Amino acid sequence: MFKLKLSALGHPNPESFNCEDEKEYRSVVLWLEDQKIRHYKIEEREGLRNINDETWTDAYNAYQKDLVSPASEGTLNEQLNWLLSYAVRLEYADNVEKYKNAKIEETKKTAPNVVSSNPLDNLDFSSPAFKAGVERVSALAGIGPHPDPKMRLAALAKILKTNPHPDPPKTEANMIQHPSDVLKLLFVQDLRDLQTKINEALVAVQTVTADPRTDTKLGKVGR
Amino acid sequence: MVVRQYNEELKYLEKINPHCWKIKKGFQPNMNVEGVFYVNSTLEKLMLDELRNACRPGMTGGFLPGVKQIANVAALPGIVGRSVGLPDVHSGYGFAIGNMAAFDMSDPKSIVSPGGVGFDINCGVRLLRTNLHEKDVQPIKEQLAQSLFDHIPVGVGSKGIIPMNARDMEEALEMGMDWSLREGYVWAEDKEHCEEYGRMLNADPSKVSLRAKKRGLPQLGTLGAGNHYAEIQVVDEIYDKYAAGKMGLERIGQVCVMIHSGSRGFGHQVATDALVQMEKAMKRDKIETNDRQLACARINSVEGQDYLKAMAAAANFAWVNRSSMTFLTRQAFAKQFKMAPDDLDMHLIYDVSHNVAKIEEHIVDGKPKTLLVHRKV
Repeated sequence: MFKLKLSALGHPNPESFNCEDEKEYRSVVLWLEDQKIRHYKIEEREGLRNINDETWTDAYNAYQKDLVSPASEGTLNEQLNWLLSYAVRLEYADNVEKYKNAKIEETKKTAPNVVSSNPLDNLDFSSPAFKAGVERVSALAGIGPHPDPKMRLAALAKILKTNPHPDPPKTEANMIQHPSDVLKLLFVQDLRDLQTKINEALVAVQTVTADPRTDTKLGKVGR
Repeated sequence: MVVRQYNEELKYLEKINPHCWKIKKGFQPNMNVEGVFYVNSTLEKLMLDELRNACRPGMTGGFLPGVKQIANVAALPGIVGRSVGLPDVHSGYGFAIGNMAAFDMSDPKSIVSPGGVGFDINCGVRLLRTNLHEKDVQPIKEQLAQSLFDHIPVGVGSKGIIPMNARDMEEALEMGMDWSLREGYVWAEDKEHCEEYGRMLNADPSKVSLRAKKRGLPQLGTLGAGNHYAEIQVVDEIYDKYAAGKMGLERIGQVCVMIHSGSRGFGHQVATDALVQMEKAMKRDKIETNDRQLACARINSVEGQDYLKAMAAAANFAWVNRSSMTFLTRQAFAKQFKMAPDDLDMHLIYDVSHNVAKIEEHIVDGKPKTLLVHRKV
């Protein structure tokens, strides 16, 4: 826990830090104030420095109050997390120029990570389960036999791309479009039911009011 | 009218694509917007010939050429977008037939013009379907046609066979198809298949002259003359199977009835009365137009409002008229085939108006606007 933030701040041993250990926890807080946050003057940090003392907790609570930490009421982990984030924020603010450029590097680093977490990359193409699966979808799409299941999969991809198929890709627009279409159709159906009932009522009233007469004697054909 | 040589006139016209021409500002004086018209090669020749003839010396009187009329409409106060000539464009009274124009309701100078609606207010077309096949009708088509003639009198001066008194008339003018529904001349679902549900809510019969009501009263349920018709038609091609199926048109050879008619002498009188009032209003409000036939009044003036209310009453009259003819058609078919109109599936597919001015919401230059749309086609 907190490994990333600690290493980002340059903590000497972020790997081994155990936040459950009271002593380690307290020393990290002290380290943060000493090295990064520096909210107090050096002589005011005495309370935090007494790591082994019972009064440390009071000093810590006062410290959080002075920093206006929103997490001061939370668990110890939440409190430390906020302190770490605050420190990172300060560190960044001190060296905006430097870290601006670092950003690009980070995204590059994360991109391959995402791909490696893709389950398809870990597929075993020679496994019988894979072969059986390809066999099934190929039969559905009407793709002829081929010794290499990967070849059949490629053919399937081609067919899906070129032929219109019933399932549209799940984009964000679709996720909103589909439910709203359903609502619209339900609304139209409701309206139709209402109109039908109105029409029935009108027909019922017509039995009282209607008297459609014609009188052929009135008719006169013009020029 | 500006007098120029035909070649000079052509400089103001630009062919944007094979079916669309633009009329640039300056073609007629004071154009607020550009004009546009849609034609194929045949209609294009007619339009340009009309203009060429008008450019010859000594050509005065009669209607102006359609292109000039579209441009004159573009010069009316409050017009937005463009003055549009649809593919049926040809010269008419003031506005060309096929000329559509929308006016901004929020502009106090915007006008309403009876010429933009036409004399046959709410002239329109409706289509009824049947479940009959052509071969069912062929053997008795003479009798069927005669029966239709007996039920729906045609021609100038014809009188209808639906008895109406003055009170019925007032109610019909106010209620439109709701009146026909109450009296049992139409089916409840007919209203759903009619533009505006067959009733303009702003209709006010008290704004209609006695003369108009007297002319209209005996004419209810008559077709009129000119290009009006009640035709028994046969489906001979289906372009969109799904859409046609939704309308109940399932197969080639299916028999339909189309009725094209309007508000008869009633609408004509409403328009004539309004033109007289508007000429006065134009003088008072100092409204200038390029053509005397484009008599108009500000939408918010008394004359403008009176016209819109009377026009709505005329629109209702036209819907009652077409509804009455629908009733008579159903009767005629029922008698010939000795079946109820229900069993003949004689539903109204749709009723669309082509001579009206309606208040509508549209997007103009990316902003929603309330417009008074004149349609005369």
